Amino acid sequence: MYINRVLLLVIGVALIFLPAIEGWMANSETNWYRPYLLWLLIVIAAYWNQRSRYPDEL
Amino acid sequence: MSFSLTPPLLFVVAYLTGLFTIAHLADRGIIPPRITHHPATYVLSLGVFAGAMASNGIIELAHLYGYNFLLYYLGVVLMFVMATVLLVPLLRLCRVYQLASLADVLTFRFRSPWVGATITVVMCITLLPLLALQIQAVADSVHILTGASGSLLSRHNRPDGLALLFCIIITVFSILFGTRHASSQHRNTGLVTAIAFESLTKLLAMLILLLAAIFPVFGGFDGLQQWLAESAEARRLLDQPIHGDTARALLLVFFAAAVCMPHIFHMAFAENNDSRDLRAATWGLPLYLLLLSLPILPVTWAGIKLGQNLPIDYSGLAIGLALDSVTVNAAAFTACMSAASATIIVTTLALANMCINHLVLPSNLLQIDREQSIYTQLKWLRRSLIGLLILAGYAFFITLSGSQSLVQLAVVAFTGTLQFLPGIIATPYWPGANRKGLLAGLGGGLLLWFLAMLLPLFGDYSLSLLDFLFESVSGPGEERWATATMLSLALNAGLFIAVSLLTRTSTNERVAAEICSMDEVIRPTRQTLALHSVHEFSRQLATALGENTAQTVVHQALTDLQFSPRETRPYALRRLRSRIEANLSGLLGPAVAYSIVERCIPFAPGLHGSTEDINLIERNLDRAQSRFTGVAADLDNLRRHHRETLDKLPIGVCSIGADGELLMWNRAMVHITGIASGDVLGSLLDSLVEPWRQIIGDFQRSTANTALKTEVPNATGAARWISLHKASPEDGDSANHTVILVEDITDFELLEEELLHNERLASIGRLAAGVAHEIGNPITGIACLAQNLEFETDPQEIRHTARDILRQTERVSRIVESLVNFSHAGSGAGDTRPAPANLADCVDEAIHLLALDRETRPARFSNHCDREIVVLADSQRLLQVFVNLLGNARDACDDNGQVQIRAVAQDDTVTIHVEDNGCGIPPQLQTQVFEPFYTTKDPGAGTGLGLSLVFSIMDDMGGSVQLTSPIAPPPHPGTRVTLQLPRTSYGDTFVVGAAPAGTVLE
Repeated sequence: MYINRVLLLVIGVALIFLPAIEGWMANSETNWYRPYLLWLLIVIAAYWNQRSRYPDEL
Repeated sequence: MSFSLTPPLLFVVAYLTGLFTIAHLADRGIIPPRITHHPATYVLSLGVFAGAMASNGIIELAHLYGYNFLLYYLGVVLMFVMATVLLVPLLRLCRVYQLASLADVLTFRFRSPWVGATITVVMCITLLPLLALQIQAVADSVHILTGASGSLLSRHNRPDGLALLFCIIITVFSILFGTRHASSQHRNTGLVTAIAFESLTKLLAMLILLLAAIFPVFGGFDGLQQWLAESAEARRLLDQPIHGDTARALLLVFFAAAVCMPHIFHMAFAENNDSRDLRAATWGLPLYLLLLSLPILPVTWAGIKLGQNLPIDYSGLAIGLALDSVTVNAAAFTACMSAASATIIVTTLALANMCINHLVLPSNLLQIDREQSIYTQLKWLRRSLIGLLILAGYAFFITLSGSQSLVQLAVVAFTGTLQFLPGIIATPYWPGANRKGLLAGLGGGLLLWFLAMLLPLFGDYSLSLLDFLFESVSGPGEERWATATMLSLALNAGLFIAVSLLTRTSTNERVAAEICSMDEVIRPTRQTLALHSVHEFSRQLATALGENTAQTVVHQALTDLQFSPRETRPYALRRLRSRIEANLSGLLGPAVAYSIVERCIPFAPGLHGSTEDINLIERNLDRAQSRFTGVAADLDNLRRHHRETLDKLPIGVCSIGADGELLMWNRAMVHITGIASGDVLGSLLDSLVEPWRQIIGDFQRSTANTALKTEVPNATGAARWISLHKASPEDGDSANHTVILVEDITDFELLEEELLHNERLASIGRLAAGVAHEIGNPITGIACLAQNLEFETDPQEIRHTARDILRQTERVSRIVESLVNFSHAGSGAGDTRPAPANLADCVDEAIHLLALDRETRPARFSNHCDREIVVLADSQRLLQVFVNLLGNARDACDDNGQVQIRAVAQDDTVTIHVEDNGCGIPPQLQTQVFEPFYTTKDPGAGTGLGLSLVFSIMDDMGGSVQLTSPIAPPPHPGTRVTLQLPRTSYGDTFVVGAAPAGTVLE
């Protein structure tokens, strides 16, 4: 299987910390754009991940 | 503020005209390819995912579920971030096999036209709500802009006319540039560029709405924060937890949408075949969706704050109307229209392709074997279907009469296509899945979806059984649609797995599963084609496609693979067959393509899956090198190392499969044969050029494992020799393979010839004194006779003297001739010609030559050979054999030496015994005497090559040598050398180079 092992690790960690992340994000007492910061982190991680790939992996 | 109907309609026409112009310019190449083919363009074109749901419906979703609205985007984001899970394998399949839709992929995987037809019909039905959603959003927006309030958007005052007008305009536009290419093989640059432009426009419009919401409505960020702190409704939205069945269902539905929705699939795979673009999309699309979603919450809050009498979906327009701003109104309308038009265009185009490939063509409604261009027929058919599908969406919209919100429509459409997810996941990951399981799963899941999701759109059709079911499984406060979604998917997956496990998977499905599989241990099986040339391909395909189309298809496949039209290699023809199927799949869909190729270019029966396709496996491994990690990478490196070792061996290596296909041809083989490996790999042994076809073929068929010396005929006249070795593993997977080693021994043979000649010259040197003496006697006699002749007058005496002189001259001539013959015997490789030779005469000649050597001990030679015996040999080389043997025999004897030569003729052979009564050869030396340069004689007395050459010459002539000693009690134990030669007679004819079976020594 060609599933990236780092990706699997990230998914596992995300599942463990999901309740804490959710509490941090969905809270009317804090800035409303907090979820977008997390989203931006995902974008940066995805960008970093694809840079290490070979030109044509199909 | 309100507008008359004309400005919005003119705006629609102008916008779509602008879009058409962009598409046209991109198609013509006026927009530079560096823009149209830039990964950013591809990423933006994927923004087609964000239809009217993203511009309008999402606001309602945010209003209903708070932060849960983000799951609409995050589902797709996750799919692209984890592209290696599904997108990469799907892109690989689509690129290699020219698959343009989900129906194509599943039909290809499950090898059934029924699968394609079912998926197409279901897809058309499930997407009607999505088309209706787009139409409703645009029509309502125009309606609002032209002065209607929320109360006017009622069942009795629907903007149906506006919707129809919009549908007609969008149909014309879709037809104009959406069907430029008949085959999905070509990227529709215009469409991609136009959709990318729409995505950009949509984003800009949404960002304008964001600014309008924050600054004019809330008075800046501080104002927004203050309002949020004061608004209970806003806090309610922000505090909603992101979990529960609803959240899970939302995430699942939109996660699957990235591959299940035909318009996203079309842009992601059919219009793209570059993994570089997909890699860019793994972060580019999430970034785009992030920016697109950023305005949603502020716009929603602005809509709540302004409290306009409009549905919350149209908060953008509410802001514009409240601010009395043309710019904001135009931005809100543009966002809606660009989103809706992109979705409608791509969705209907994708659906039209699916209908053609899986409904029209397999049912033979279109005569594709007519000579007139298929491409033209397909274009017109596609245009008609696009129009029909948009009208069907409009009919659905009319039927609903606005009774449903945008979110409800979207949820029904997305949950419907979700039912294809199990099939898609099984395609790369579960080779055991079969079509019966897929259809059973789809049937169960879609039935539940129809009863629980689609039917309720048209009214209250509640079923008590379903109600009971949902109540029993759903938690408190969970949405009915979320429970229905999860249940339908569970039922679908359960049936799929159960039926697949309980029913048999066909061979075709297993082969397709291997192709689709992500497992690295794929073992492609090699099948044998019934056709043997490209011309036969064209001729057979012409019966199904018409002559012109068949030639075009074959030519295209040859060009793609860079093969010659004269190609006959089975491996190349198999690849050509696959390429033709892939290209036809792009044109006619995988079901029809498979059917045509199976019918016209069939595999030969009986050899199905008989052996592995080594060439294909190697090619796949080479291409997959970058993906291997850990042990797989180590194994691949090991494979490469062994491959390279074999390739660089100084000995030629060729491997032949059970069906005669050449699987390996290393560099040494290229050097020896002069045939490039690319020309023979994958071809049949019988297709090799002569003389290699015969040499390797004969050797492969023979029972012998070694052929020490085989002459290779050469047109240039320069002789070459090779030795052959064979190994046929009798166990393991390569049971029927033959590995043949070919060694070029030409240099060795030439050296041996040289040695032979030198030995001969050495013999002549030893004979020189005797020759001089032998010639001297007749010369003296001639001189005396000449002196007498000077004074002779009697004519009778003169004649008598002249006859004597002539006799003496003949004697001299015979001596000289013998010497000349001997010195020239076998001096060149080309002289070796087996021919009938009289054995006794040959022995006599050798004895005569040896008699010339006066410096050696005299011995008595007795030739007992039958005068009638004729052997098949080169007489000159045979003479050398006897000179060497008799010379050795004489040297081994004392002064009373006797050498006997006898011959016994059998049916096919003649056995010759050369016996002496000499000192014999000790047993420990008997194995060494045939080695070159081994001699027991004094230094200078012998070269040590005599018996070695005897062995070599006899071997060349297909004979054998045996040595026996002692043959008598001491003091004269003696030695017997036994020769064996093929027997013949003067009347026989011979085929040069064909005969001697004895050239193969076991």
